Amino acid sequence: MPSSPLLQISSVSKTFGGVVALDTTSLELAEGSFTSLVGPSGCGKSTLFNIISGLLPPDGGSVSLEGRDVTGTSGHVGYMLQKDLLVPWRTVMGNITLAASLTRRVTAEDRAQAQAQAERYGLGDFLHHYPRTLSGGMRQRVALMRTLATNQSLLLLDEPFGALDAQTRLDMQQWLLEIWADLGKTVVFVTHDVDEALFLSDRVLVMSPRPGRVVADLTVDVARPRTLATLTDPSFIELKRRVLGLLHRENA
Amino acid sequence: MTSSPQPPVSVVRENARRADAFAPAWPFAKLALWYVASVSLTLLVWQSCIWIFHPAPYIVPTPRATYDVVVSQWSQIWPLALGTFRETIYGYAAGAALGFLLAVAMYKIRVFRSLSYPLIIGSQAIPIIALAPILVLVIGFNIYPTIIVVTWIVFFPVTINTLDGFLNLDPDLLNLTRVLGATRGRRFWFVELPGVVTPLFSGLKIGAAYAVTGAIIGEQAASSGPSLYQFQVAANNQSRTDLVYGITIVMMIIGLLWFAVVTGLDRIFTPWKYRATARRWFRRDKTRNASLTTND
Amino acid sequence: MKYRLGSLALVGVLLLAPLFVASYSSASASATSLHSLTFAYDWPGPDMEIIPVLVAKEKGYFAKAGLNVSIKFPPNTSTTIKMLTTGSADVGLVTTADLVSAVDASVPVTSIANYSMSNNWGLFTKPGTKLSLSQLKGKTVFSFGDNWTATMLPFVFKKAGVSASSVKVVTSTNDIPLLLNGRVNFSTNTTNYEIPGIEGADKGQQPGEVLTGAAIGVPNIPIWDYATSKSVESSSGKYLTAFLSALKQATAWAAANPDAAATLFDKAYPSSGYTNAYNLSGWKLTVPLLTNAKGQYFVETDAQWTELTSAMKAVKEITSQPSPSSLYTNKYQPAA
Repeated sequence: MPSSPLLQISSVSKTFGGVVALDTTSLELAEGSFTSLVGPSGCGKSTLFNIISGLLPPDGGSVSLEGRDVTGTSGHVGYMLQKDLLVPWRTVMGNITLAASLTRRVTAEDRAQAQAQAERYGLGDFLHHYPRTLSGGMRQRVALMRTLATNQSLLLLDEPFGALDAQTRLDMQQWLLEIWADLGKTVVFVTHDVDEALFLSDRVLVMSPRPGRVVADLTVDVARPRTLATLTDPSFIELKRRVLGLLHRENA
Repeated sequence: MTSSPQPPVSVVRENARRADAFAPAWPFAKLALWYVASVSLTLLVWQSCIWIFHPAPYIVPTPRATYDVVVSQWSQIWPLALGTFRETIYGYAAGAALGFLLAVAMYKIRVFRSLSYPLIIGSQAIPIIALAPILVLVIGFNIYPTIIVVTWIVFFPVTINTLDGFLNLDPDLLNLTRVLGATRGRRFWFVELPGVVTPLFSGLKIGAAYAVTGAIIGEQAASSGPSLYQFQVAANNQSRTDLVYGITIVMMIIGLLWFAVVTGLDRIFTPWKYRATARRWFRRDKTRNASLTTND
Repeated sequence: MKYRLGSLALVGVLLLAPLFVASYSSASASATSLHSLTFAYDWPGPDMEIIPVLVAKEKGYFAKAGLNVSIKFPPNTSTTIKMLTTGSADVGLVTTADLVSAVDASVPVTSIANYSMSNNWGLFTKPGTKLSLSQLKGKTVFSFGDNWTATMLPFVFKKAGVSASSVKVVTSTNDIPLLLNGRVNFSTNTTNYEIPGIEGADKGQQPGEVLTGAAIGVPNIPIWDYATSKSVESSSGKYLTAFLSALKQATAWAAANPDAAATLFDKAYPSSGYTNAYNLSGWKLTVPLLTNAKGQYFVETDAQWTELTSAMKAVKEITSQPSPSSLYTNKYQPAA
């Protein structure tokens, strides 16, 4: 791990009405890493997410990004949910540049960048389409483009492909890895799907509920680029068995 | 696993092209056709009633007689109708603006919402017929009592619908704007405001349908000089039933016209509901100029 | 076109009371031999001008004449004639100007008796304000927007020597509050409604000016009359004589006993919205209008109708000029 991590979470915790949503947690994420959080509902992964993004102030502890204390503030991460949250009144282009328009005047440069990325990742023909006319997979792609267009180095992706069918989902995972490799972003990815977590990540954090906490920190030592064959690789299967074992035990 | 996914570009593009080609003209023509059909049906039912029941012309005139009397009296009706239309649009504009601003204030200021909600509901429990003469007493004989009556009627559905729209905005979307570091003003302008355009127009359409009624009630309470309502009363006093029917229809047409204007504005302001792609005018990108010259 | 204190909003409530009274009293008095007639008033709710019909009904004059009369109120002030032609009423109180307009529009109705004999319509100013007709120019004049006022105002303008465009004529639903708070300089109304209205609204005060008759150049002709439809004439003509005969008796009694008549009204219509003082004052002002110079009730003349139709023709209220014989008949008049 590099000497100065991109994201440093030091002893954050959160309690809602006496229920410990997230027990005291410390984490460091290396720049350019791809980390997945897996765990059942109530394990605190959304709470952790919201603390990192600044939506929730932690009860204690601090969050620092690139050495800057960002505890309880927002506007420093890219953020994407299972719901695409595309606004219906803006075109694909408009949605991609939404983040910019929420903080400052959208420049020609923003648009040029959005167009270049859209064209590069297969959305070039749909720049002026309203989201209503797009399929679910395309909408998620636009949502991801919008997340990238924030130009933040840290991306928080909360089950972004959870609502897609299996085939589209595989396509999207591939596509995400492609983008990640191209742009060198640091990704935190939340999912219920162990295959997905392992397939995408360098590192998988297994979380458990009551109280929400990280119970295991696994390194995914599987060579990239990963393909369909990866899914049946013995080391992949061994990791999957371990993660499932952790989740199963915690759920029992 | 394949490499990069291939969206069904050709299908979507084809659908989009078709939708855009027909969007501006065809729905309008279709709408006009339905209007004609609906008016024809009404006239047929009206005329049939006359054929079947043979009412005296001073009880129910024929559509033809009604049309003829409106044409023959048009030089008198026209300026009065224009006056009523003017009262309607002035009052409507004031009501729409007031209704919208109230909704924004109620959305943004929770204390104001709690305080004003009972008053706003109460305002509509006042019989407007009783209110109008009081306004005349206070304000006098000019266009303002009528405008206030129209405003009073129009603001309510606008406020209620718009406020509901604001309160039903997707909380995840609002959270997203916070994560993205949105400023209050920009979030309002780029997310909250466009997010309530649809309910806003629902309220505006309801208001448009009622606005003429308000103008007529205002004319009843206070007419400074001749008015469409007083013209109708005079026709009624003189047993000119065909003229009474004719003026009623003119009043209805004023209401329909205004409703049509608001519906048209709705289409202009909510293109995403009717079009697959943005109009070129709204496209802001470096290919804009290129798009303007190509004929796609 | 009558001018009353109070608003149409009360009408719904007011309608219930008379209907109950009517149904119960007719049930008690009902004998199988009585012929049923329906009388339609000219105003959506009862007020003191209904006293003659009410007295005839309540004191049994109609029953003695072989009639069972029920009273109906129209939904608005211009529906009474339509009620006559559709058969929902047999006899009605209407204004003479509305009757002329109806006949002009080929509506088959006829006047069978005058209610009042003279023109008590005029201009009024608020208590304490003296304004003469010569000061009319540039003033604001209230109108109910009715036929009678439209017919009379040109006479007033002519007498005052002003053009119609130099006077601001405004219309609304009630004149007295507007007059009292100075929104209009003159109201137009009839004396028997305006004076009690001002008395009631302003602690017994009298109008500053009451300008009527020759002083404002208007013809002295009847404002209200009893009317019926042609079909009632042909089917129940003989009952019309009985109706007017009982009504004449009742009118004479009410003229002689105004206090008792006003009390009778209060009892019949406890929720009319009018005070006893208003009814008594109004009825006392109505009594002198009921008889002509010879002391006769009801009797109509060619001259009154000719004068009215000429005036209405002059202001284009009507297109043709119906002959007096097409407008009225004296053949149902009771014996002198």
